[in-house]
Amino acid sequence: MSKGTEQTENNPSTPPPLRPGGAHRLRGPVVKPKNFKGTLKRLWNYFGKERKMLSLIFFFILLDSALMLLAPFLIGKAVDAMSLHNGKVDFNFLEVMIVILIFAYVGDAVLTFFQGWLMAGVAQRIVKSLRDALFKKLQGLPVAFFDSRTHGELMSRLTNDVDNVSNTISQSTTQLMSGLMVIVGSLIMMVILSPVLTVASLVTVPLVFLLTRTIAKKTSVFFKNQQVELGKLNGHIEETISGIEVVKAFNHEEKVIAEFDIVNTRLRAVGLKAQIWSGFLMPIMNVINNLGFAIVAVIGGILAVKSLITVGAIASFITYSRQFVRPLNDLANIFNILQSGVAGAERVFEIIDEQEELADPTNAVALENPKGHVVFENVSFGYRSDVPILKNVSFEAMIGSSTALVGPTGAGKTTIVNLLTRFYDVTEGRILLDGRDIRAYTRDSLRSCFGFVLQDTYLFSGTIKENIKYGKPDADDGEVEKAARMANADSFINRLPHQYDTVLSENGGNLSQGERQLLAIARVILAKPSLLILDEATSSIDTRTELHIQAALLMLMENRTSFIIAHRLNTIRDADTIMVIDDGQIIEKGSHDELMAAKGRYYNMFFNQFKNVEGALE
Amino acid sequence: MKFLAKYIKKYWKSFSIAVLFLTFEAISDLLQPTIMAKIIDEGVANKDINYVLKMGGLMLLITAFGAMSASTRSVMASIVSQNFGTELRSDLFKKIQTLSFKNLNKFDRASLITRLTNDVTQVQVFVNGLMRIFVKAPLLAIGGLIMAARLNLHLSVVLAVVVPIVTLLIIVNLRLGFPLFAKVQRALDWVNSVMREYLSGVRVVKAFNRFDVEIGKFTKANDHFKDQSIAAGRLMATFSPAIMLTVNLGIVVVLWIGGLGVDTGKIQVGHIIAFTNYMTQILFSLMMISMVFNMFVRAKASAGRIDEVFLQEDSLSWKNETVRPSHLEKGRIDFEHVSFSYEGTMGEAVLKNITLTILPGETVGIIGSTGSGKSSLVGLIPRFYDVTSGTIKVDGEDIKHVNPKRLREKIAFVPQKNVLFTGTVAENIQWGKEDAPQEEVEAAATHACAHDFITASPEGYQTRIGQGGVNFSGGQKQRIAIARALVKRPEILILDDSTSAIDVATEAQIKAALKKYATGLTCLLIAQRITSIIDADKILVLDQGEVVGFGTHQDLLTECTVYQEIYQSQIGKEVL
Repeated sequence: MSKGTEQTENNPSTPPPLRPGGAHRLRGPVVKPKNFKGTLKRLWNYFGKERKMLSLIFFFILLDSALMLLAPFLIGKAVDAMSLHNGKVDFNFLEVMIVILIFAYVGDAVLTFFQGWLMAGVAQRIVKSLRDALFKKLQGLPVAFFDSRTHGELMSRLTNDVDNVSNTISQSTTQLMSGLMVIVGSLIMMVILSPVLTVASLVTVPLVFLLTRTIAKKTSVFFKNQQVELGKLNGHIEETISGIEVVKAFNHEEKVIAEFDIVNTRLRAVGLKAQIWSGFLMPIMNVINNLGFAIVAVIGGILAVKSLITVGAIASFITYSRQFVRPLNDLANIFNILQSGVAGAERVFEIIDEQEELADPTNAVALENPKGHVVFENVSFGYRSDVPILKNVSFEAMIGSSTALVGPTGAGKTTIVNLLTRFYDVTEGRILLDGRDIRAYTRDSLRSCFGFVLQDTYLFSGTIKENIKYGKPDADDGEVEKAARMANADSFINRLPHQYDTVLSENGGNLSQGERQLLAIARVILAKPSLLILDEATSSIDTRTELHIQAALLMLMENRTSFIIAHRLNTIRDADTIMVIDDGQIIEKGSHDELMAAKGRYYNMFFNQFKNVEGALE
Repeated sequence: MKFLAKYIKKYWKSFSIAVLFLTFEAISDLLQPTIMAKIIDEGVANKDINYVLKMGGLMLLITAFGAMSASTRSVMASIVSQNFGTELRSDLFKKIQTLSFKNLNKFDRASLITRLTNDVTQVQVFVNGLMRIFVKAPLLAIGGLIMAARLNLHLSVVLAVVVPIVTLLIIVNLRLGFPLFAKVQRALDWVNSVMREYLSGVRVVKAFNRFDVEIGKFTKANDHFKDQSIAAGRLMATFSPAIMLTVNLGIVVVLWIGGLGVDTGKIQVGHIIAFTNYMTQILFSLMMISMVFNMFVRAKASAGRIDEVFLQEDSLSWKNETVRPSHLEKGRIDFEHVSFSYEGTMGEAVLKNITLTILPGETVGIIGSTGSGKSSLVGLIPRFYDVTSGTIKVDGEDIKHVNPKRLREKIAFVPQKNVLFTGTVAENIQWGKEDAPQEEVEAAATHACAHDFITASPEGYQTRIGQGGVNFSGGQKQRIAIARALVKRPEILILDDSTSAIDVATEAQIKAALKKYATGLTCLLIAQRITSIIDADKILVLDQGEVVGFGTHQDLLTECTVYQEIYQSQIGKEVL
């Protein structure tokens, strides 16, 4: 397990997208959830036993907001204690106010602390369980699900979307609650302190709304354009950096630089517009806030001169009016975050709602040590109902025999294997193993009877030993080494710095293609499957290395029903049966010699492949 | 960070103007509470409505002034940061495009892309922030301190206690926080890598029924991530109330000391209100500074990564070109005792003491097992890499004495990996020769056996490739790439295993067409399939970086054991 040793810097996953700059959060259009209420409700159900804790936290927030509303009032009273008695201070009253204030502040600190402390746990636990549920769900999903989605998309659901949910829970909801409390509370306090001043200071509120809306509308268009240009620029960068060999080989450095500059300049133009427009927002808000401040100061001053209001009340009022405006600015923002969080949850739930592989029927039997007699009976299949891939395919593979599948790409060779192992289920017809429909066996037991050697080897990060043991975790070192020897893998393993304990990076990046394939073969040898599938097992290996692997494969195939898919015809000429597949049908079947004698499709393919050789030999 | 000097030189004036206006903005913010104090202490206390109105007007005036300053610096900041970012990105892109492969290979391709996109943005955002809040925060903090001290020195004692405590708390918070957040990031990387691995190995997991193991792995990573996140979250939950409490208690003390002062007539009530205002202003500035520090650390890391690229010295150099007689043999390649190893790989040389000559018009097949050095060998000819020792001559000239541009003009290269660019098929083929007319494009495509399938698609040569366009099959893409090389009409054509996805019959057709298309074309052909090169003029057999055979098929079949092995592995014994 590589404990995330590679820092983010060298993380070759998708580079994070560029974001429009600026300290504010005016962004492009928010992804809106389809069913806001429903998803929110479902999320709430998901919280499970954390709901009580969450309620407690919300209670703390309410309490804390009340305390925070109390403080300015107390300060005002304290100021009054100093100013209402002609230069003499009412120390008794001041003392009382100060003591209450201290309690309020300490209470606030304690409540904030507990609220934050608990929230960190609650949010992370919820997110963890969500992520766990998602991952467990992935285990149950059929291969078709993975084939139809990119890894990047799935990764993004597991990380970004779940993160969004976490932010929503821990930040937006609390901010929303306390924000609403403060707005309502401040308004009430303001009215209590002075209805006249309240009206005067509320004059600025519609102004705030109007201006933010206008600017937001304008900038959202600019930000959208910026996003588009950014996408183009990133596309160009991605293409020209990963294809830099070609750029250089064709002396096209200047051309791509010129193209880059064009897109880059366009990006600057839209970026500048977006930033300037959104940059006006903060100063304007500031002016309006200060305007409100001035109005309160002047009108409050006049009222105070006429003794209609105390100085302390003005002091309190100013604090309240500020408290009132600030969350007002944030609310729109919070709502956006909330929306994107809920949209994230929606995407997460989409996966959780995916159709899993159908559960095994209750009368399914566990398959153990099958003999390996395979029959396809009128099997038809399509990944999509309108595009048939296999059309009425029937054949029989005898116990211990080897069957080779050849034919052009897309003919349906791999599909036959996918059906046999129930990565997909047949649309029509049936497949029998040892005389029984494979759907009558439990899926797990069926699959564990097959050994796979695929073109892509898929090694897992971990040691060589762990990788070989993947199919049989309880194997001891002796067995592992024996399997490696049989696969011709031990010679290169012994050359590695830590032999069998050498740690492989993700997907065995530090090994050559051939070495990885040898490991995969050792893995299968150790697992001792009853049936064997070789899907282009040697096609990414050069032919000399293949020669070495071939021996291991032949040993593996001995006395096992095997299915071999290969492009290179010489690798399959010894198979008991060769089936030529084209357009979802078996068009020829027989041994190499039979098919050569028949001078049909196989003969042509074979002849084509070796035409040059014959020519050279003449 | 030498690379920044250029931009500093260019933008320091605009930057300074922005900061100047930012200072005006901060001053106008700082003046407000003092004026407020005046309204209370002089206007209200003396029941002077005129004074109140006058001060209110002054407040509005200052506000307007502040707003104008803010808008100006906002525009300035946008212009400076956008121009800076655009230029930096462009310079970095240019730098990357002009680097040699030796330099480029020090970086992961994905990491180069991240540097161009994410890191540049990070630095740009920081520069923008500098002119927005980052400079303003310390200004407000210091200004607030000065204003508060001017207002009342006596009360400032409270500040002298509160500010150091808050600063200390912030520093401790950052100190403890950084390692924690780094751990969270690592934990997240772990979760991601388990996930990524599962996704790419899903068939193997299913085949071996190892769900429990995978779930176990994931749960472990996920638990770890959760624990780290909670620890980090709880740290933040501890410090921010502590900081708030310190400041709030400071306010309480101000009220008490203020009360005493008012009683003895030393302090005015308005001052107390203004003072508490300044205190909160200072607090927010301090918090802001800690945020700025966070941003700074990130931007610094990004700038460092950008710097790494800028620091690469282009390793390609060439002597001044000497004008050479042009009647030299065009398309001749000589290797003289060439050895080569990739930098950084401590292991043995990839190519060892290779000497050979390829004559103009020859077709040379290159074969050997993976890792035998085939691709490295042909990569040396267009000087993608420089030899470690020995000399390579093209047309009789040492390639180290030739401008790489001129050298590469003679050579067309079809890489192993299909690299086509977004655009139409015609545009892609025209990459080889930008002004190639349609006839030439079609001729090249015809010779690459690509014309038929191109015209078979409804939009023909205008069919778009790549993002959102039609996706051709691997073999078709290879043929387009070959057409792209042909349209260049090179002296030397290098095909680096670029017919692997093309069926044998078509491949033979292409090879026959090559002969006709360009007489005298020197052609290097790397292949896996022995049938691809069997009829070449000469075949070069490489094994572990050494030439183990160089001759015709018949020669090699009798002399070269490695070649015999390859032959047997692919053709089998019977045919012999």
